[in-house]
Amino acid sequence: MKVTLEKHGGLAAAIQLRLPPKELDSAALPANDAAELAGLVAEAVSAGPAAEEDRPGRARDAMSYTITVEEDGRSTTVLTQSDTAMSPGFAALLRWLETH
Amino acid sequence: MSRTRRVNCIIPPHLLDKLLDSEHTGVRKAALDTMLTTARLRGERGLRASFVGAASAGNGRRTVFDCQQGRLLPTATLAQSEDGAASTDESVRRAFDGLGTTRDFYRTVLQRNSVDDRGMRLDGYVHFDVKFNNAFWDGRQMVFGDGDGTLFTDFTRSLDVIAHELTHAVTEFTAGLAYHGQSGALNESMSDVFGSVVKQWSLNQSAEVADWLIGAEVFTPEIDADALRSMKAPGHAYDNELFGKDPQPDHMSHFAHLPDNERGDFGGVHINSGIPNKAFYLTATNIGGSSWGAPALIWYESLKASSIDTQFQGFADTTHQKAEELYGAGSNEQLAVLAAWQEVGIQVSGVPAGVARDLGRAGRNGAPGRTAGQDTGGAARDDGLTALNRQIDALASQVASLSKAMTAMQREHVTRG
Ligand SMILES: [Zn+2]
Repeated sequence: MKVTLEKHGGLAAAIQLRLPPKELDSAALPANDAAELAGLVAEAVSAGPAAEEDRPGRARDAMSYTITVEEDGRSTTVLTQSDTAMSPGFAALLRWLETH
Repeated sequence: MSRTRRVNCIIPPHLLDKLLDSEHTGVRKAALDTMLTTARLRGERGLRASFVGAASAGNGRRTVFDCQQGRLLPTATLAQSEDGAASTDESVRRAFDGLGTTRDFYRTVLQRNSVDDRGMRLDGYVHFDVKFNNAFWDGRQMVFGDGDGTLFTDFTRSLDVIAHELTHAVTEFTAGLAYHGQSGALNESMSDVFGSVVKQWSLNQSAEVADWLIGAEVFTPEIDADALRSMKAPGHAYDNELFGKDPQPDHMSHFAHLPDNERGDFGGVHINSGIPNKAFYLTATNIGGSSWGAPALIWYESLKASSIDTQFQGFADTTHQKAEELYGAGSNEQLAVLAAWQEVGIQVSGVPAGVARDLGRAGRNGAPGRTAGQDTGGAARDDGLTALNRQIDALASQVASLSKAMTAMQREHVTRG
C-alpha cells in the first residue's frame, strides 16, 4: 500500500505549491507501523466526508489535504478534506502521516 | 447534573451576551463558562461559534484559547481574556496582544469598532494541531499553528499575520470579495495591505523605512527566505533550493492563470495578490510618510465601496475615485494612486493613457516633497498639474462626445436595418 499526502492552500499557499508531496510505502515500514497505517486508512475511508454543517464556506487561508491510497495496483482511493471540515478519522491519519 | 444542563440550555444567547458584557468579572466568567459548557455538552462547534460570533456589543473583547495540539476548537481551554492576568505562554500572549493592536488600529485610525464595526468579540486559538504550518480565519475565529520547526515556526510571531487574518473578517463584513480569481486576490491583498499597515502603525514607521514584508518571522532560522511575501518587491521574498522562487507577479503582464480549485489556490489568490499589493506600496511611497494616513484611508473606503465580484480594474477605478472624493481632483494623493496602478499595468478607466503617464510621473515626483516638508518648486509643479488636469478634462469631453456620436450612429444603423 502506497500513501501520498498533498497539501494545498493556506497562508503560505505559494510555498505549498512548490513542496513535493509526502509519500509512504507500507512495504518499507516496520510491520507494526504498517498495520497501524492500514488501520488508520480504513478508519479515514469509513469516516467519509466531514459533516456538512462543519463547512462554514467562509474560511480564509485554510489548507486542504489530499491523501491518495494505492493498494498494490488494485485500487486507488482519494480523500480530500480541509482545516475547517475534517472528520476525526481523517485527522488521525493526517497526524500519523505528518509525524512519521 | 441534568438539572444544571437544562438550565444552561434555556438561557437565551442574547442574555448570555448581556451577561458577558457585565461589569462584574464573576458574572462574565460564569456566563462564558455557561456558553462553553453548553456548547461542549452539545458537542457542536457551530453552536458555540454562533453564540460567540453573534455577540455584537463586546467592543472587540479578546479571548485566546489553547488547543494543546488538538484539532478540535471546542475542547480548547481558555488561556487569556480581558479580565485575567497575562498568560505565561508566549504564543497566547502574542496572539492576545496582536488581536489588541489590530483592534486598536481599526478603532483609532479607521474608526471601526472591531471587525464587524459592531464590537464583535475576537477569539484566537493557538497551538492548533501538531507541526501545523498555517494560520487561518475559519469564518468566526483565528487559528494559529506552531509550525513544524523545520520550515516554519510559530505563526503568532508576525503581527502582520495576525492583522492579515483579522482583516479577512473585515473584508467579509464589507465587500465580501469572493475568494477566487481576481476578487480573491484582492481579498488576499486587503489582508496583506492592512496586515502591513498595522505593523507599520504599531512601530510608527514611515512607508519609506518599512520592510513591507508579510510573515518575516514565521520561518525557522535555517530557511533562506525573507518572508512569505514582499509588497515592495513581489516575486522576491525568497529564492531557495527547497521551495524555489517566490511566484508572485508585480505587473499584470505576469498575472498567473491557475485552476480555480483548491490545488490551484482558487486561481492563485495568494499569488496574484502581488499586483494590488505592489499598487498599494507604490501609492504609499508616492504619497510619502505614514501608510496609515491617506493611503490606508483611500484603500479602506474603496474596500467598503467594493462588492463580491470586484476585479482589479474596478478596484483601481474606485481607489482613484475615493482619492478624489477625499483629497480633491488632481490632488497629489489621486495622482499617486493613478501612477501606482499605471506602474503595475492597470490603466484607471476614463483617464487617457498618455495623460495618465505624464500625470503619474508628475504625481510621483511631486508627492513626496509635500510630506517631507521641502516643497521647493511646488508652485511650478502645481501649475503643471493644473495644465495637465485641463488636458484630461478636454480629452474626457472629447471621448464623451465621440461615444455619444457612436451611440447615435449605432441607433441609426439598427433603425435602418
Ligand atoms: Zn489570507
